[in-house]
Amino acid sequence: MLQKRLQAWDFYEQAPFPLGRRGDLGTLRIFSNFKFQQLTPYVPSDAHDVLPPAIAQSLQEALVDQRSGLSVQHNASVVKAELSEALKQQGVILTDLDSAVRDYPDLVQRYFMTDCVPFDSTKYTALHAAFWSGGVFLYIPKGVDIEDPILAQIWLDTPASAVFAHTLIIAEDLSSVRYVEEHSSAIEGDQPSLLSSVVEVYVKNAAHVEFSNMQDLGQNVWTITNKNAVHEKDGSTTWVLADLGSHAMLSHIGVGLQGNGSAGELVGVFFTDHDQRYSINTLSNHVGTATNAETLVKGVLTGESRVEFDGMIRVQPNAQQTASFLSDHTLLLSDNCRAESIPGLEIGANQVSASHGATTGRIDDEQLFYLMVRGIAREEAERIIVQGFFEPVLQRIPLENLRTRLRRSIVLRMSDGYESETDTWIDAQERWEVEGVDEYAVSLDIPAKEEEIQLAEY
Amino acid sequence: MESELIIKNLHANIEGKPILRGVDLLVKQGQVHALMGPNGSGKSTLANVIMGNPKYEVTDGEIWFNGENILEYSPDRRARMRLFLAFQYPMSIPGVSVANFLRRSLEAVREGNKPLEEGDNPTGKATKRKSIPPGEFRKLMQEKMRLLKVDNSFINRSINDGFSGGEKKRAEILQMALLEPEIALMDETDSGLDIDALKIVSESVNALRGPNLGILLITHYQRILDYITPDFVHVMYDGRIVLSGGPELAHELEAKGYEWLKPSDEENGVMVNG
Repeated sequence: MLQKRLQAWDFYEQAPFPLGRRGDLGTLRIFSNFKFQQLTPYVPSDAHDVLPPAIAQSLQEALVDQRSGLSVQHNASVVKAELSEALKQQGVILTDLDSAVRDYPDLVQRYFMTDCVPFDSTKYTALHAAFWSGGVFLYIPKGVDIEDPILAQIWLDTPASAVFAHTLIIAEDLSSVRYVEEHSSAIEGDQPSLLSSVVEVYVKNAAHVEFSNMQDLGQNVWTITNKNAVHEKDGSTTWVLADLGSHAMLSHIGVGLQGNGSAGELVGVFFTDHDQRYSINTLSNHVGTATNAETLVKGVLTGESRVEFDGMIRVQPNAQQTASFLSDHTLLLSDNCRAESIPGLEIGANQVSASHGATTGRIDDEQLFYLMVRGIAREEAERIIVQGFFEPVLQRIPLENLRTRLRRSIVLRMSDGYESETDTWIDAQERWEVEGVDEYAVSLDIPAKEEEIQLAEY
Repeated sequence: MESELIIKNLHANIEGKPILRGVDLLVKQGQVHALMGPNGSGKSTLANVIMGNPKYEVTDGEIWFNGENILEYSPDRRARMRLFLAFQYPMSIPGVSVANFLRRSLEAVREGNKPLEEGDNPTGKATKRKSIPPGEFRKLMQEKMRLLKVDNSFINRSINDGFSGGEKKRAEILQMALLEPEIALMDETDSGLDIDALKIVSESVNALRGPNLGILLITHYQRILDYITPDFVHVMYDGRIVLSGGPELAHELEAKGYEWLKPSDEENGVMVNG
């Protein structure tokens, strides 16, 4: 493993910084000017057995209350790794990556930054491979279904630090797991820190992995993240990504559909304000036959934030019967925010169904007027429209608590951090029990011909 | 005291182009006024200007409601004074359910005509009103839906999203029933409806009619007036009300059209407004 670190460092030193295109919003360029050398890597946790209060608190409010495992990384060290007895007995392994290198060297050597996120994918993955520390290793043996989610928290609280957190998940044949990773920070001062995270997911035959990530880092943290899943036959992955925090984020999320019949789903939500910068890059890489992918990203920008979205559907030659869909919708709330959306298609096979769609727009004045004419003040009307915009994608998020947390965060962000009792989400999901159809009720479904009777001109 | 909507010499532009050229009108609670006129005469503009649509610029005149000049008020504040507009083209708002939206709306309207108080919270932003308990709201909705014979499933859908033309119009009437306005402007509520839908919508309006509701019913087609008998009929032409009368005026217009009303001289328009 040391060899790999050195090799990665060499690669990092040689590789140029990716700079993006001329005329883009410049997120890659600001990363290339980032003073990595001023940061301190390997800041160990100063917590000995006792979790810092902020972390203990956040565990109380964690996205997952009923869980089958827990891992907490505080700065560069994993301070907690717990797994239910039942799962241990079934051979599930949940441990920090350092221990895994020692205890399961074969597995780690075979899977760590090899096929899923190769260390030499980019300059930044090489940096990660050279400096990784802490991290989570999760191994699920054949046929084991983990029903309650496993929660992983990554906490940063040291100024000017660099944390390189790695998550390696191997789901053997016919197994399944729900994994939730939260990224948070509580760092004093304006000095920037860095969280570099790599997530590698190996999905074997007919296994299923659901990975949710909530990134709510402070404004003094920069983050670079690479997430990828590789699939064997009939394997499937669901990525759920919620990005709210961090000053600057460079994220790559991929599904590699090598196995025939494999499938990937990506649901992403973001909300940026102040001068946040995001570059979000997704890749649906279709290699095997009859693979499916769906990418659905929705985001709202305000303040002077900037978001670049680059979504690629790549269908390799021989990847016949691919079905792939990608959509990215962005709503701009302020005059000074900017969004750029570049969906791309590269199709090398000829029996393919692939489509993409992207929209960027502002709140419709007529919608706003409509709500205001119903007595609702402008700010609240805007909030209702934003909620309605997010709702369809939120409903795709399987984890109830994550949905609730996101709604709350979005409402908070839109009311400048002030929360009042009734600032609750207008939840389209709240359903009334419909007490049957009234005896006298007339169906609202008036036959479609009505539009034909346009009014005669006088 | 009964509410009054008084419009005096109202002039309004859209993108610099004059649409309203001096409208005078008085609508009292309990009365039904029909406002007729050809396409482009300014009827819808009038409704939008009364509600404060920022798309239009008021260049002259006044709008008084319940003794206050509301011209500078925001649309939501006008609504909270219990002015209502049933839209000709109701907007759809995907992802927001009718039930939740209407609860917010009712809470706001019940709050009444106060500018939202400021300074009670750290951001200095408007404080939020009290919420109506879901049970109470549900009961009220059920009652109104029964009155208007609206199918219960309607309540769980997103606002106007995927509604047919007829459904949108009925949803507007349902909102009107719920919010109990003192004066309601109904902008071409009859347009795009077939005869059955028109009957249903008219019956709903008639069910709401009473001493507490004044209606300005905007239409350019006499048909709806067969079902809703107005107390007064006004005819708008080229940005002015050029003729006013009783319900019989509607029939006269049906027979004669609008062309004969064309003022021979711009400055000498026929003014018969009482």
